[in-house]
Amino acid sequence: MLGKLRGRKNGIFTKSHNEDITLIGKSLEDCPLDEDEDAFQGLGEEDEEIDQFNDDTFGSGAVDDDWQEAHERLAELEEKLPAAVNEQTGNGERDEMDLLGDHEENLAESLSKMVIENELEDPAIMRAVQTRPVLQPQPGGLNSSIWDGSEVLRRIRGPLLAQEMPTVSVLEYALPQRPPQGPEDDRDLSERALPRRSTSPIIGSPPVRAVPIGTPPKQMAVPSYNQQILCPKPVHVRPPMPPRYPAPYGERMSPNQLCNVPNSSLLGHPFPPSVPPVLSPLQRAQLLGGAQLQPGRMSPSQFARVPGFVGSPLAAMNPKLLQGRVGQMLPPAPSFRAFFSAPPPATPPPPQQHPPGPGPLVQNLRQHRNLNGAGDRGSHRNSHQDHLRKDPYANLMLQREKDWVSKIQMMQLQSTDPYLDDFYYQNYFEKLEKLSAAEEIQGDGPKKERTKLITPQVAKLEHAYKPVQFEGSLGKLTVSSVNNPRKMIDAVVTSRSEDDETREKQVRDKRRKTLVIIEKTYSLLLDVEDYERRYLLSLEEDRPALMDERKHKICSMYDNLRGKLPGQERPSDDHFVQIMCIRKGKRMVARILPFLSTEQAADILMTTARNLPFLIKKDAQDEVLPCLLSPFSHLLYHLPSVTVTSLLQQLMNLPQSAAAPAPSNPHLTTVLQNKFGLSLLLLVLSRGEDLQSSDPAAESMENNQWMQVMFMATRELLRIPQAALAKPVSIPTNLVSLFSRYVDRQKLNLLETKLQLVQGIR
Amino acid sequence: MAALSQLKMNYMPGTASLIEDIDKKHLVLLRDGRTLIGFLRSIDQFANLVLHQTVERIHVGKKYGDIPRGIFVVRGENVVLLGEIDLEKESDTPLQQVSIEEILEEQRVEQQTKLENEKIKVQALKDRGLSIPRADTLDEY
Repeated sequence: MLGKLRGRKNGIFTKSHNEDITLIGKSLEDCPLDEDEDAFQGLGEEDEEIDQFNDDTFGSGAVDDDWQEAHERLAELEEKLPAAVNEQTGNGERDEMDLLGDHEENLAESLSKMVIENELEDPAIMRAVQTRPVLQPQPGGLNSSIWDGSEVLRRIRGPLLAQEMPTVSVLEYALPQRPPQGPEDDRDLSERALPRRSTSPIIGSPPVRAVPIGTPPKQMAVPSYNQQILCPKPVHVRPPMPPRYPAPYGERMSPNQLCNVPNSSLLGHPFPPSVPPVLSPLQRAQLLGGAQLQPGRMSPSQFARVPGFVGSPLAAMNPKLLQGRVGQMLPPAPSFRAFFSAPPPATPPPPQQHPPGPGPLVQNLRQHRNLNGAGDRGSHRNSHQDHLRKDPYANLMLQREKDWVSKIQMMQLQSTDPYLDDFYYQNYFEKLEKLSAAEEIQGDGPKKERTKLITPQVAKLEHAYKPVQFEGSLGKLTVSSVNNPRKMIDAVVTSRSEDDETREKQVRDKRRKTLVIIEKTYSLLLDVEDYERRYLLSLEEDRPALMDERKHKICSMYDNLRGKLPGQERPSDDHFVQIMCIRKGKRMVARILPFLSTEQAADILMTTARNLPFLIKKDAQDEVLPCLLSPFSHLLYHLPSVTVTSLLQQLMNLPQSAAAPAPSNPHLTTVLQNKFGLSLLLLVLSRGEDLQSSDPAAESMENNQWMQVMFMATRELLRIPQAALAKPVSIPTNLVSLFSRYVDRQKLNLLETKLQLVQGIR
Repeated sequence: MAALSQLKMNYMPGTASLIEDIDKKHLVLLRDGRTLIGFLRSIDQFANLVLHQTVERIHVGKKYGDIPRGIFVVRGENVVLLGEIDLEKESDTPLQQVSIEEILEEQRVEQQTKLENEKIKVQALKDRGLSIPRADTLDEY
């Protein structure tokens, strides 16, 4: 029996143009078509005498040693689950199948033993088999997974499927074949002549094509659209289908409808409702020339939803299509406005979106032009659903494939710590939620449910990565992958001695060191800033530990800033100044200040004031010092009078004692001419005034000191030439009252003008 | 240009995914400057695209011309941007469609004028002792 069948393979081609041949994948065998089997066997009888003598093909070689079968099984080895093999319900071939099945299982086992690995550990070398979805056996005997899960489709399936040729998708091509069912075994085996070319959705190899992509369809008799061309296998030929073939059109147009189309050239074709034209696989492939729809995917749904769609509008669409609006792949099937802009002009050549491709095909059906009028009916339905409905190429990408892609995308979103991995997204959504919560409180509008993406929270598993080892290989073969990268360069770090370096190099190195310190301190800062959140998320017992950690980090930060040098009474300002010369350093200090204790922060402020002219000079390009104003002003409110006094002294570079002669004060000039400097000065003055005014009566030491300093300050301010002053960020309001204590009216006016303290002047 | 319609992304909120864009007409701008218009049929995780009934549209001034290209498979990294075309508004354009030959001719003329202007500029700079490296000799990034 097998021999007969196999011998027929060659014979089939010669008869093929008269038979309906479907280019199918394995799932075809599942189609319970009893008539086929009879016809098949009938044909087989003819060839019997011819091929009988070939032992290899039909004799013992065929029956006992089914090499093709074995090859096929080997090819499918990875795809088929061992369970599936056992499911086979062959009768005559059961023994053989079982034999092969055993081989298969052994092979599978040995293969798995060869590669000792846990796929989870190195997804880069993950076995493809793990990720392929498995087909679910369907009671209908057809592979229903090829269908979209719509109810409509299922309802229509009944009458259509009986004659339907199951179709195959890209994915399915690579998927495990379901075991052929009993009565069709003979036929199936012959059809599985060639081992399938391996394709994989993971790797993404393209489906096999009979003709190169882009081959324009040849002019053909109107083909049957039930043919699934996605993965054509020229040799896989189906025995002639029974004459009743309304179904294939049924998807797009029932044969009745076809017949009803007036002037339809379709009628002229060998297409009476009961007789399908048959094409050779090559012809069919050429005709459709490339990716084709599974008819099942599209039309039943379309037709179910649009029952009113009778032949004429469909055929009417046809000529429009074929006027060259669509690309070359257009089948002369009823189609679809999907490709046109909303009101398609009826006359060619209008501005065309897709200039004509299918030449011969087009000419064939231009006769339909007179049906144009009827086609306008659909012109105003431009809904998204509408397009999909009419689009014959819709759903080329299966729902399963879409899910696969979105699964990959979701996998990429998995994280153990979303705050760490996806900070900006989390922040953004938090802000949105806060906004909506705020809105909700204010107005009681309807609560907008913002759909939030819930990313799977994966527990972090510590994988000790073990590189792939092959059993039986000599030595360790290293496979380089993403998780186990190969070392490319042996870079050796050489440190140079200090003597060799020139001055410039020293400077450069020093700067680099400063940069490194800034980076380290910044990391500490980010950690410290994060503690609040961690505190909220943590358990009770962990909290003290967290607090300790935080304190420790803050201390480290301060040490980093000031330059911790053992054995020094007071660390030099140099370290800090270096940090402050760099833009990032300044911004970082501004962020650190709130975390420092008052003393530490005051120290920072003093150092800044002391070195302000230098810093101002260095900040000329960045102009980022004003960012420090805010934390400084906050700090000022906590400082006692003494500190403020000495701060003012530092800031204005005032001499220590009032009696000392006052040299020219470029320090002050620089400060006044800088936005930050002036603003800071005004803030300090304001704070001093606040302190003074809050405690007027007390003749304390601090007050005296303050007053002394103020006298000197005002003297200085009056003394300096009227240079171009900077524009301070804000002018405190109490300055006028401040100065009025220390100077008489005339000088007050002078001061006011000079410092532009009065609002009116500005 | 065709109007772009906005679609609610309910597949995965807050993310950018092309799944909702499948089977819709799109305009794709490539890194080499080409403009492709076609139906997006398939995607993958790298945003490689399969465009169906693709047309390459060349714009010169107020004119444009379409070259039918069939099926395009575009490698994801070469896409600059893409957007859905609103089929209703697609024809609402002030641009004028011309034949392929004409638009190619226009393009050639445009390129030529650009080259000539460039040459003049470079010469002028050279006369002044300056030299600006040409963009195409620099690295792409």
